[in-house]
Amino acid sequence: MRKARKLGWAIIALCLLLAPVSARAQTAWNLEQGKSVTAMAMSPDGKLLAVGSSDTHVYLFDEAGKQIAVMKTGNVVTSVGFAGADRLLASSDDRSLYAFGLGGELLWKQDLKKRVEGVAPSTDGSTAAVTVQNSSELLLIDPADGTTQGKASLGARAADVAAAPGGGYIAVGGKDQNVYLLDGSGNVLFKAGMNGTIGSVAVSDEGRVAAGLTTSAVVLLDRDGGKLREIAVLDSVKDVTLTPDGETIGAADYAGHFYLISSSGKTIWQTQVPAPATQLAFGAKGETLYGGTENGGIYSYDVENVVAGAESAAAQKRIVQIAAAAAALLLIAAGLYLLKKYNRLSVFKRIWQAKWIYLCLSPAFILLIGFMYVPALSGLYHSLYEWNPGGRSSFVGLANFRRILSDDYVGKGIVNLGILIVTGLLKAIVPPLFVAELIYHLKSKRLQYYFRTAFVTSMIVPAVALLLIWQNLYDPNVGLINRFLEAVGLDGLTNSWLGDPKTAIWAVIFIGFPFVGILQLLVLYSGLIGIPDELIEAAKMDGARLPRIIRSIHLPLLAGQFKFLIILTLIGVIQDFNAILIVTGGGPMDSTYVPALQMYYAATKFDELGYASALGVSMFFVILIITVVNMKFLRSSQE
Amino acid sequence: MPAPVRATSAPRTIAGLPMPSPSAVRQALLIGTLALLIVLTLVPILFMFYSSLKSNSQILGSFWSLPSPPQWENYGEAFASIWRYVLNTILYAGGASLLVVGLSAVSGYVFAKKAFPGKEFLFLLLLAMMMVPGILTLIPAYVWYEKLGLTNTPLAIIIAHAAGGQIFGTFLCRTSMASVPSSLFEAARIDGAKEFTVFARIVLPLSVPILATIFIMQTVGTYNDYVWPLLTIRDSSMQMIGVGLTQFTKQFGITDKGVQFAAYSISSLPLIVIFSLGMKYYIQGMVQGALKM
Repeated sequence: MRKARKLGWAIIALCLLLAPVSARAQTAWNLEQGKSVTAMAMSPDGKLLAVGSSDTHVYLFDEAGKQIAVMKTGNVVTSVGFAGADRLLASSDDRSLYAFGLGGELLWKQDLKKRVEGVAPSTDGSTAAVTVQNSSELLLIDPADGTTQGKASLGARAADVAAAPGGGYIAVGGKDQNVYLLDGSGNVLFKAGMNGTIGSVAVSDEGRVAAGLTTSAVVLLDRDGGKLREIAVLDSVKDVTLTPDGETIGAADYAGHFYLISSSGKTIWQTQVPAPATQLAFGAKGETLYGGTENGGIYSYDVENVVAGAESAAAQKRIVQIAAAAAALLLIAAGLYLLKKYNRLSVFKRIWQAKWIYLCLSPAFILLIGFMYVPALSGLYHSLYEWNPGGRSSFVGLANFRRILSDDYVGKGIVNLGILIVTGLLKAIVPPLFVAELIYHLKSKRLQYYFRTAFVTSMIVPAVALLLIWQNLYDPNVGLINRFLEAVGLDGLTNSWLGDPKTAIWAVIFIGFPFVGILQLLVLYSGLIGIPDELIEAAKMDGARLPRIIRSIHLPLLAGQFKFLIILTLIGVIQDFNAILIVTGGGPMDSTYVPALQMYYAATKFDELGYASALGVSMFFVILIITVVNMKFLRSSQE
Repeated sequence: MPAPVRATSAPRTIAGLPMPSPSAVRQALLIGTLALLIVLTLVPILFMFYSSLKSNSQILGSFWSLPSPPQWENYGEAFASIWRYVLNTILYAGGASLLVVGLSAVSGYVFAKKAFPGKEFLFLLLLAMMMVPGILTLIPAYVWYEKLGLTNTPLAIIIAHAAGGQIFGTFLCRTSMASVPSSLFEAARIDGAKEFTVFARIVLPLSVPILATIFIMQTVGTYNDYVWPLLTIRDSSMQMIGVGLTQFTKQFGITDKGVQFAAYSISSLPLIVIFSLGMKYYIQGMVQGALKM
């Protein structure tokens, strides 16, 4: 017992160690609902943040997140950048390039005839690199008036373009998986192949290039195209950015992580926000990091603080890990010591001797653990999460369970479930008992066998086919039931049985009439056969007649069978939604919903896997309670 | 068959013949009631067969009359659209059942006749899973199979049924094999038989009935599966019969009710074969399962 408790504590401690430590954003604000951050840039003095949005606007914020100006373009903003201290350029899906003053006034607009995919002005305002759709040429534009100063041919279409703050370098991530570095006037300095599709590039004043790949990696290149570092991140990289000195890389990935990576390739800090990250920008000296997400969230982080925090957290984590390792070693040592003390070390010898046995059992237990325990535990665990497999899952505590309580479909489902359980119990006991008694009282053993077999014969139709046949029997026009009612002159009773919310649940219950369940019949019948003949004979001698024999001998002696059937029915009815899914799909309206069906729909129709798991877990606990109550109380009262 | 019995025995009582004791009347009543219940139970099946031989206009126009002429070609059309589902299901069910039988036989024997450290714990681990209802694991299992890349492959069905079925199978095998006297194995071992020989030559032959029971229970269980293939199999060419029956009319644009019923009849054929070969084992398995709870 003591050992078990110790083990329990150890497991709890381990869980605490493994629990994700989430760092909070320092400040965060939001674009309005439904807008996505599509572009982001920081002014050279680090005072203003320009945010391009999917709602065609460019918003200008100050450091604190106060909105200063709004500028309108013709379509989704694809890219923004500051050109000098007095203007910013924005490209839009309406094939135009815009220049705005910092008060929001339009300075000029240039129609480029093709969709503008990216604009990257140097922050000193000397030049701006522009890429357009389906073109392998890079346009160099004068931010002052929008005239084309020059062109550079790359030989491949560009996925992303970036300019160094000083205007000395332009980096292009090509769709051919090459990174190109150009000087300020458009001469290609190098071309370096990546082993993945390039999502984003950034370049520093020294010509250091960072490229974010969709294969979940960030690559840092030096001025000559040599690969300095390759850093693995957790998901497809959406944006990378560099501090002006090129010493720190910022990266954002699709799972909503923001990273700060040092030029030595070490991830110095990371955090996760609850939406796919799209954009990143550093403040002027790299002291602030701004991140934007697909659902319009904008986060700002104080780089120095978060790095310090991350370092101390890492140090803490290391200490904890060391402590845990030491504790584990200590535990093992203590265990060995105890075994030695009580002279039980031979257990290892016996384990070794039994190696073939373990080998024989291994396939069974690999299947058991890998495909039964893992899903069961995963269900228990993820019922506390908003579960997005393959993406980001966030811990929501008991929110899923609270939602069950306020879910109208579940409420309706529980009412229906109550009806199904009561009728299910009646169906499981009364008709099978009746038939079992009838068969039991047949004199001819041969007839007994024939009748038993005849009832079992109904199994030859697959369960789904039987349900579909019943669905047909209920058909308002060509169904057997309505036709039969018409034939016997009860036209008034015909109904669209499954289509009427008032009758639908009862129609589902009536499926399987006259409810002679085969398992139930066989269980009760073999129970009857098991009753010793002497008992019956003795009762008959005392003058007991049949009803009395059934009441006083059969029913009490079948208590075990009844208990078994009741449990089986309860567990079965709570879980079963096949019939309802096939025959009515929960309708009409919500009239035939059951909680299990709502679980299935939550998972398949609405992709709410955490909520579905919580429903499954709730039903599991109900079933568990039923089973435990049955084992503890019913048995002891019977014996 | 039972109807004439009533016809002959009932009038006799009314006639007041000396010997037709009340018990004979009672027997006749019993038989009559049972016959009625069996007819009612089988109504959907009879209706299925009856309607499978009719065309739409025959069903609409002459609902109660016999199918004349019988539309046997309904079966041809139904077979052409669902044979693939039936074949898939037979293959999956056969594969899963063989796996279950193999795993259960080995584990059952080990748990019944071998002593090794951790035996109780491992058996408890197995037993505990019997308490976990499918409703808990359904959705997480789907996500897990998806993650492992098993969805939309036959393995999704086979592995799931093998992993789930072996638990109860092992349980049945253990009980059954425990009753085989150990002296039998000892004698063989003294004669120099290897462990494998003991298992293959003594344990397996003695366990044929229980293994047959497990095989048939598992096959029927897999054959009737609906929700799991609905979740995990997307390609129609890999789908199982349960899901297939609910989808084939739309997929092949079948509007004839008769063809639908013919398809239901065809889908029953494999089960008819199984039950005619091993009804005894199936009943045994059901009753045994019930009594073990």
